[in-house]
Amino acid sequence: MKLGVFVSDFKLAADTLDRLKADKLGIILVQNGIYHATTKENGKASSLLDKTSNVYALSEDIQIRGMGDSDVDKRVKVVTYSDLVDLIFNEYDKIAWL
Amino acid sequence: MGTLTIGCFPGLVGNMAYDFALKLAEAAVNKGHKVNIWFSGNATGSVKAHQKHLKDYSTGEKYLKALIEKGVEICTCEACTVARGIQKPEGIEGVQWNAMHWYLAKIYGSDRVLQIGGE
Repeated sequence: MKLGVFVSDFKLAADTLDRLKADKLGIILVQNGIYHATTKENGKASSLLDKTSNVYALSEDIQIRGMGDSDVDKRVKVVTYSDLVDLIFNEYDKIAWL
Repeated sequence: MGTLTIGCFPGLVGNMAYDFALKLAEAAVNKGHKVNIWFSGNATGSVKAHQKHLKDYSTGEKYLKALIEKGVEICTCEACTVARGIQKPEGIEGVQWNAMHWYLAKIYGSDRVLQIGGE
């Protein structure tokens, strides 16, 4: 199963993600979840970014919080709402919200 | 083209998850997909007509009506809505009122389902 998981908060969801079984896992950072893509603690990026190579962050939610693409970890793809629709229908079979 | 059903449980107008649900719905319908939205819990507070639109709110009655005009089906949980003191005659025109079976039927007929929140 190809599973896309929306992460909407900055609290660490790693333990939940570890329990999800997926052939392909996508993590889609929205709302305060985008801080996983932009914030380093003690020089280290969020461990969520190590879970999969398919990590996305919503551009509008990055900009609303006063940041831009240059603030985003290089492993994260910045996407629009239109891109999200394509991810939902074309890249993942199931989608979940954390 | 596919069908996306969004279950939106948290928040009133101005809530982040609520705004996200409506903006995702708009993006999907603009790309030709069929979209259904189910409001439950506190999200049902948004279906009362003539609420003041604060300038900082990105969504509201006009936004809901625009989605309905584009073909998005929006339904509010009647039990949750009346529990919050809102009666059907006070509701925004075009918003459907129904029970959980509406949501379940839409889920059954959808290609993708995104449920946001819920306690």
